[in-house]
Amino acid sequence: MKAEYINSFYKAVKDVFQLMIDVDPQRRDLKVVEDLTVKRDANVVLGVKGDLHGAILFSFPKAMILEMIRIMSGMDMDKIDSFASSALGEVANIIGGNAMTNLAQENYVCDIVPPQIFIDEYVSLPSINEKALLLTLVTPIGEFDITVYLKEVEGKQ
Amino acid sequence: MMWKDKFKIGVELIDNQHKELFRRVSDFTQTIRNEENWEDKLDKVKETMTFMKEYVVEHFDAEEAYQEEINYPDIENHKQAHARFKEGINGYVKIFEEEGFTEDKIQEFGGRLMTWLIVHVGKMDQEIGEYVRSKGGQAQ
Repeated sequence: MKAEYINSFYKAVKDVFQLMIDVDPQRRDLKVVEDLTVKRDANVVLGVKGDLHGAILFSFPKAMILEMIRIMSGMDMDKIDSFASSALGEVANIIGGNAMTNLAQENYVCDIVPPQIFIDEYVSLPSINEKALLLTLVTPIGEFDITVYLKEVEGKQ
Repeated sequence: MMWKDKFKIGVELIDNQHKELFRRVSDFTQTIRNEENWEDKLDKVKETMTFMKEYVVEHFDAEEAYQEEINYPDIENHKQAHARFKEGINGYVKIFEEEGFTEDKIQEFGGRLMTWLIVHVGKMDQEIGEYVRSKGGQAQ
């Protein structure tokens, strides 16, 4: 897996978070993992198709999501309901769209598949049988993970 | 408070319309999030849907007219973004017509509407202000 893949998402997350919630995420750990495993309360999966094929998993703690929504809406929230989860899905969608623009600058033309959101539930994500990269990002309102599993489609120059 | 001063683009007409949009979306969000009986909120929800359909079109038309006036180079992309925003709202109008104003769908719409508005005004529209300033205009 090439560094451009994860860098495209890292840059997109930074831009979108700064715009939407005035928070600048910083890299903490980058590690290789064998699967897309849900380890936190709120999870969003974005599919990617085109020159690259695969999926991106965003995993957040519940308190961080509630704080993000509070900053955006100016209102306190105590649960991740339809309002919060749809806002989270849109934020992920926008991050995905920006990441696709960043990847296009590296000559990879891709599209995202609409996000799937999982709150407080165990999900069995498809086995990838390949290595993925898990990047943990730190912010003043909590830390979260992005797992990137992307594979170049055969024939891509 | 959903509106932030960083969302200003420096063009008075557009900034005032943006503030009105944020005020309405903020009121709508407070209404659908408060503890009152759901049935009692429906008038406000319906009023907001009517406002959004009408005012969003009015605002986007004004913004596109302004972009034409200043020969904004990214006007076609901007028009496409406006079209997607309107499609998003009309998509929910259709859902509400077919399925009724259910609380779950209204909450879902509220979360999306807030995010669409922040991203559109906070990012795309800022580029209009940057363009005006780059041409030595009055946006500040």
